Amino acid sequence: MTKKLSRRDFLKLTGVSAAAAAVLTGCGPASRYVTRRPYQDMPEYNQTGASTYFATTCMECPAGCGLILRTQEGRAIKAEGNPNHPLNRGKICPRGLTAVQGLYNPDRVQFPTRQGRGENSPQKLDWDTATALVAQSLKEAPTQAAFLLGAAPHHLADLADEMAAALGAPAPVVYSAYGWLNGMATLREATSQAFDTTRMPYFDLSAADVVVSFGSDFLEGGLSPLAYSRMFGEMRRNTRVRRAKLVVIEPRMSVTGGAADLWLPAAPGSEWLVALALGGRVAELHGKAAPGPFNTVSIGQASAASGLAEEKLEELAVLLAQAQTPVVIPGGSVLAGASGVASAQAALLLNDLLGAAGSQFWLSPVEQPAYSMKAVQELIARMNAGQVQTLFIHGVNPLFDLPAAFGFAEALQKVGTVISFASFPDETALASDLILPDHTPLESFGYQRVLAGSAGEVLSGAQPVVVPLHDTRASLDVLLAAARLFGGSVAAALPYTDEFDFIQQKLLPYQDARQGSITAPEILTFQSIFQQKGGWWNVAAPEIPEARISANLAGAVERAAAPEGKFYLHLIQTQMGDGRGANRPWLQETPDPMTTVMWNSWVEIHPETAHDLGIKDDDVVLIQSETGQVEASVYLYPAIRKDTVAIPFGQGHTALGRYAQGRGCNPAELLSAGLNPAGDLAYADTLVTIRPTGKTRQLARLESRVGVYGGGH
Amino acid sequence: MEKLAALWKRPLFRIGLGLFLFLVLAGAVGGIYLTQIPPEQPIQFPHAFHVGVGAQCLYCHPGADSGPVAGLPSSGKCWGCHQQIAKKSPELVKLAGFIERNEPIPWVPVAIQPDFVHFNHQPHVAAGVDCATCHGDVAKMKTAEPQRGQNMGWCLDCHQKMRPQEFLRLGDCATCHY
Amino acid sequence: MAEEYPQKWGMVIDLDVCTGCNACVTACSMENNVSFIGEDENAYGRGMQWMRVQRYWEGEYPDVAPTRQPMLCQQCGHAPCEPVCPVFASLHSEEEHINVQVYNRCIGTRYCANNCPYIARVFNWFDYDLPSPLNFYLNPDVTVRRRSVMEKCTFCVQRIKHGEAAARAEGREVADGEIVPACAQACPTEAIIFGDLTDPESRVSKLTRSQRGFYQYEELGTAPAVVYLKGGGEYGG
Repeated sequence: MTKKLSRRDFLKLTGVSAAAAAVLTGCGPASRYVTRRPYQDMPEYNQTGASTYFATTCMECPAGCGLILRTQEGRAIKAEGNPNHPLNRGKICPRGLTAVQGLYNPDRVQFPTRQGRGENSPQKLDWDTATALVAQSLKEAPTQAAFLLGAAPHHLADLADEMAAALGAPAPVVYSAYGWLNGMATLREATSQAFDTTRMPYFDLSAADVVVSFGSDFLEGGLSPLAYSRMFGEMRRNTRVRRAKLVVIEPRMSVTGGAADLWLPAAPGSEWLVALALGGRVAELHGKAAPGPFNTVSIGQASAASGLAEEKLEELAVLLAQAQTPVVIPGGSVLAGASGVASAQAALLLNDLLGAAGSQFWLSPVEQPAYSMKAVQELIARMNAGQVQTLFIHGVNPLFDLPAAFGFAEALQKVGTVISFASFPDETALASDLILPDHTPLESFGYQRVLAGSAGEVLSGAQPVVVPLHDTRASLDVLLAAARLFGGSVAAALPYTDEFDFIQQKLLPYQDARQGSITAPEILTFQSIFQQKGGWWNVAAPEIPEARISANLAGAVERAAAPEGKFYLHLIQTQMGDGRGANRPWLQETPDPMTTVMWNSWVEIHPETAHDLGIKDDDVVLIQSETGQVEASVYLYPAIRKDTVAIPFGQGHTALGRYAQGRGCNPAELLSAGLNPAGDLAYADTLVTIRPTGKTRQLARLESRVGVYGGGH
Repeated sequence: MEKLAALWKRPLFRIGLGLFLFLVLAGAVGGIYLTQIPPEQPIQFPHAFHVGVGAQCLYCHPGADSGPVAGLPSSGKCWGCHQQIAKKSPELVKLAGFIERNEPIPWVPVAIQPDFVHFNHQPHVAAGVDCATCHGDVAKMKTAEPQRGQNMGWCLDCHQKMRPQEFLRLGDCATCHY
Repeated sequence: MAEEYPQKWGMVIDLDVCTGCNACVTACSMENNVSFIGEDENAYGRGMQWMRVQRYWEGEYPDVAPTRQPMLCQQCGHAPCEPVCPVFASLHSEEEHINVQVYNRCIGTRYCANNCPYIARVFNWFDYDLPSPLNFYLNPDVTVRRRSVMEKCTFCVQRIKHGEAAARAEGREVADGEIVPACAQACPTEAIIFGDLTDPESRVSKLTRSQRGFYQYEELGTAPAVVYLKGGGEYGG
């Protein structure tokens, strides 16, 4: 064999020598390929190598917590909590932390697109053409425009209200999966029954000594997880009183249940009986007559209905009777059943009976919005009847987060023009005619009214922390531009020059109020402080109206036990929120707090139930309801009722980019379109069957990991 | 072993091996040489001239005494003076071109540290270390030139000489590596 | 002067307040440029999280309850990882009293991870590149690690260094609570408290004297800088 130096060998040799050079010189030559591009005009607040911090509002969920964004050289580096914000006081949750992974997501919609309902190849548009198309569609039938909006941001919802009124179209429909998962419409109805008001209930845990949650997972799900987590910490650290006790009543142990001192898996639908029995017994222990409905249920009856031991209920009643500062919180899946209103009402009245009203229990001055799934169904009916020419969709993903049984996909076919403002290619955006991408929240101005999480009034302010990364445009500006092209009365009714001007106009009443955290002589100063501080707030809580103790509770029905072979479905609220978190890789990789599962869906089954069905850990099972079916790997969960199975909400995307797509299952497929009397989705009443598929698929869990080599436990 | 010995007897193998070793050595020498000469810059910026007419280091590198990074001047800052000065030299025409096209000037960094070294200008300037100690006498340079032997031993040597009483802190790995 | 008495950074984790929400895990990962590695690699147990919340089930249904322990590098005084490193990549910072990992020295023997009783060290089995523009959020104060390098919690040493430099520039001592690692800063319930253990008046020092305090694997004599406060039971009043 003769050694011949081919060209390839020579190239290899040069590669080796370059590598050797790199090693010997500590990669010196590599620096020759680095360039530094300084600013053309450096902003005065900026210094190379030093961070600049901006206050804004987190829009990852509708709670409206304050963020401080650390930016450097024009890049958003890290989200931190705003220490002065009354909701979170410097604290932050995984969703807020990964907001920058939304901003810098590689799968964002980068320019306006003619999507053609996912059939044609998408076509790039310029903004003038896109706006003209919107105006043209509006002109065809101005009264047949419809807005479908999410629970954030509120400034856009306010503009949509005005625009719909100007067009003569029906009022915008607002919903969110956070809303229906937490039974917001039910809570509104119950507050109105119990206190004759629709002001938002607020539960102050910070000084409480006994907290009883009826289904509310206020630490992880709930309407303001950070505010309640912060108060939970204050409550547990409060050593002036006895160590506070947390009691959680729910069918499947949530994060809140895991932090509880006493966890009671009551049969779903029986919570109102438990609340009434507890109230009656507490009154008895106090030596008073139990008012209204509280004398109708005995501990024994509640025990029989709920399946909880009588001793446990007695223990809880004594705990409540001895408590100095108790509070009762309704929420979550307990509200999302046929008897949800009754349970929420009983819990609210129990607060009044325990003397929590005005100390731990408040009604904030903010009105609860009338989010209701009934309104969504009415919109779908209008769409089916061909009465919707232009449908604007912002902040929600109805093809993902509405039950498939609502028939939104079919109704969408009958709409003239579907316009999505999505920043990400989600399921609904791909089924739209036009995608007119909004800036992501970290690139946007805006405000968000805080609903839960404060006893007073909080208007949280948002501002861009970086310049927009792509050719996106604020949806509010697009709507204003379209209104201007539309002309006539519509243009006249919306006299705002742009989004910034609109927000300024809406801040005027707050400046005039001369109360709260900002006083400024004129609006420009007011607005700049508003942005600098991250919002305006007046945390003084108003008086609570007299409770209305009626003899009967609205919609009080007992739920039948699950028939043989069927299970009640429980939806778990996870860090994925309403599903929009699924494209943030670090939300996927952060282990679920209870199961430690990452990057996938699972179905939780009680070990004994699984044993009876012949199912083992990690077996793939088929979960079937009357309306649909999904597959998921089994997680044997020791803290769930034997008649219940649970699936996390938020995975199972068929779109939304590389990190979300084709991962896990979407339990919205299983839900029926049934509503409870308050107009909320009665998802807790869904019955499913479980069948093994014979397949096994391992879930990625942290708990199996011991050391970097796997194995172990 | 025998196979290797047989290989060694082939002259072509010896030549190939020699060539290989030569190339490795040449690459290494070339690499080292590259780090010792000033890199090609988009504009041949004459430091000597600017220092000569009295410009302070901190005027263009304002972060040096207050932050980790000295910073490069924005092109707006260059233009602040130069739009009033006749563009006689070709380098100034280049500058005008960058300004006109609204492009950032792609400077090639000269005093560069690897990613795993975190250098902070501020404490060094505060301790009275002169710019020239590390960057050389730029008053005598046209474009900035890399300085020889700026390795960890050099850092530690200075730390020990200047502040022997604080060497616990200044000799700590975590002072620069994190 | 701070030079004569180097500070000893310490942490207290109150298990009674911890809800196991994992905000600390996400905060740590976002602050320290920790790589996400996807489902399959995680299933192999190669997760890169510098801290984790260990969840143990106790009891039988319906009296079942989880206990949680946020677990991170304990920054041991007598660290088992240090003497086994053949290249001195894992060594003690005499100044900050923490265990530092010098990435540019590490050759990936993984001896340190084998010897760590807390399983606090993670290894870069691969290069995990971020697709552009996700790399825009990388923290410039923290080295981006490459393949074959061991890494672990640093008590956010970049924040400690920045805080100390800022205090020294202003000619003052570091105030209690001025320097907080990302996990403690994020923790929604303030279960994680960080501070200087040599200052008897610091919040963290006061908490370490709590009757509920314990060390993880105290019997190993590792002298950790992290004190856990036992949860549950009755106290206060």
